Amino acid sequence: MASMIIETAGLTKSYGEIRALKPLDLTVPEGEWLSVMGHSGSGKSTLLNLVGGLDRPTAGMLKVGGEDLLGRDEDGLARFRREFVGIIFQQHHLIPYLNALENVMLAQYFHSVPDEAEARSALERVGLGHRLKNRPGELSGGEQQRVCIARAIINSPRLLLGDEPTGNLDHGSTTMVLELLRELRVEERFTIIMVTHNQEVAAWGDRTIYLDDGVLVREEKKLVEG
Amino acid sequence: MLFRILKNSFLKRPRSIFLVFLSITMGAAVATSFLGIAGEISHKMSLELRSYGANILLEPSAVEGGGFLREVDLPKIKTVFWKYNITGFTPYLFGLVDLTAGTKHERAVITGSWFYKQLLVEGEEPSFQGIQVIAPWWELQGGMPQDADEAVVGASLARRLGVVLGSRVVALARGATKPFRVVGIVTTGGYEEEQFFAPLVTVQSLLGKMGKLSRVLVSAVTVPMDAFGKKDPAAMSKEEYEKWYCTAYVTSVAKNVEEVMAGSRAKPIWQIASAEGALLTKLNSVVLLLTLLALGASAIAVSTSLMASMAERSPEIALMKAIGADRLQISAIFLGETLIISLAGGIVGYLLGDQLAALISQSVFNSAIKSPLWLLPTAMVSAFAVALAGSAAPLRRAFLIEPVKVLKG
Repeated sequence: MASMIIETAGLTKSYGEIRALKPLDLTVPEGEWLSVMGHSGSGKSTLLNLVGGLDRPTAGMLKVGGEDLLGRDEDGLARFRREFVGIIFQQHHLIPYLNALENVMLAQYFHSVPDEAEARSALERVGLGHRLKNRPGELSGGEQQRVCIARAIINSPRLLLGDEPTGNLDHGSTTMVLELLRELRVEERFTIIMVTHNQEVAAWGDRTIYLDDGVLVREEKKLVEG
Repeated sequence: MLFRILKNSFLKRPRSIFLVFLSITMGAAVATSFLGIAGEISHKMSLELRSYGANILLEPSAVEGGGFLREVDLPKIKTVFWKYNITGFTPYLFGLVDLTAGTKHERAVITGSWFYKQLLVEGEEPSFQGIQVIAPWWELQGGMPQDADEAVVGASLARRLGVVLGSRVVALARGATKPFRVVGIVTTGGYEEEQFFAPLVTVQSLLGKMGKLSRVLVSAVTVPMDAFGKKDPAAMSKEEYEKWYCTAYVTSVAKNVEEVMAGSRAKPIWQIASAEGALLTKLNSVVLLLTLLALGASAIAVSTSLMASMAERSPEIALMKAIGADRLQISAIFLGETLIISLAGGIVGYLLGDQLAALISQSVFNSAIKSPLWLLPTAMVSAFAVALAGSAAPLRRAFLIEPVKVLKG
């Protein structure tokens, strides 16, 4: 039986009077691709931010990789993010004045030591070996998202978080990105948690949970073929 | 990588970078120029203050002076260690005489002195010494004596004797008489108004005290007395004494002069020396305060520019934090930027400040100065200080940026 990379109990997040996430009990086994679905304001992104160490819960228990994130200070959370997590954003969020290669190396710089050969190799793996020196403004949306994926995987994270990573992509680019993630997951054996609105995209995961008004209302597990 | 980030950041935001550079440069330039002229101001002001009176009094020592100093020792004053700080000196010989002007008689003090005498000392530049040099504040009606039988009369004494310019006054001493023609009447508000001034050699002859002096007043450029200067030289170690002797305190210059005037005892005239010291200290404090204010204003300007820049760059900072940058790494990037700018600002500020100091010195004191080289590191440190102080608030704002809020959607 796989060990749990994420364990939450009574995990809650409030913004003033608004409770974005109501007490949530959730476990995610290591290596799983978990899709998180729900309407806008359902608490999907809040959950993603909490497990990614980008935000702090109001109450409850949150363990990632066996460690209680609540015990970490701000710099401790930054360390956790660079060593443990890779994040793929819907808007890509690349530094506009750095080229594709430098954007990937930036994550290496914060993690340890930039290695140009490794960064180049990561971009080649996502099919951008010919666009190394291009700046984000010179790349298509799909290409920018692939740079974002290369940056997310460059430090070999155990947890890959995607916040609507295909939300701004056309159908072709969406498929390309999802196939890429599937391949990389096989190679790197990381866990994926992906927030999406799209049922088709969610179906790429091993399991889908549905949030509504901050409450886990349903979950579906993909049947294993054969 | 840091270099790449900094390089690209500079190229992308030239306007913002230029504003920060300009603020730092201005701060460094003002600091350089103010500190550059501070030394000059002290020196010039000290020279100006010399016109308000002598600050060292030489009198015969009670033990070995025999009641008088020797005129023959006077040229030695221009050969001492602090000779370039001595702007002038005047010998005095006092005595009592009976004065007669027309029908009026009065017993009064006669003072023999130099009025404006050229002093030639072997191996030294010729100089002029006398009352005109150390007491230019005398309000003199008429002029200074040029001949042995010319005299200046104090205003009060002149009133009582009823003398005016051109009057004839006869002095009687030891049974001998000496006629004088009044060429000047002096008003000082002090004891000089009661005296009768005549050339030293004439008075020495009249009083029968050839080559003798009652006192010498010395005017010297000195530095303000500090705690070390006030220590008793007799209680100092050898090293301390050397340091004290080689610093132009009024006490060390007095000691220096005393050593060449046989049988003398030199004393600072404290009301003059203290007033000068207090004035110069205040002046230096004002310059220092202005420098700090200028640097503070620069730091505020830097902070304002960086704040605006920080607002513009918040998505970039949020992203860096999201992918794992901690506060130290964020600081390295933003302080790295401002420190590189401050390096350039410090150098340019020093060069500008040097020119500004020369301009101020030329227009205020009519003399050229060159900023000392130690001001370059001072300008650099000022620039770094401005950059660091100006970065504090923007950096704090950067620390408070929450990736979740900025990168939302």
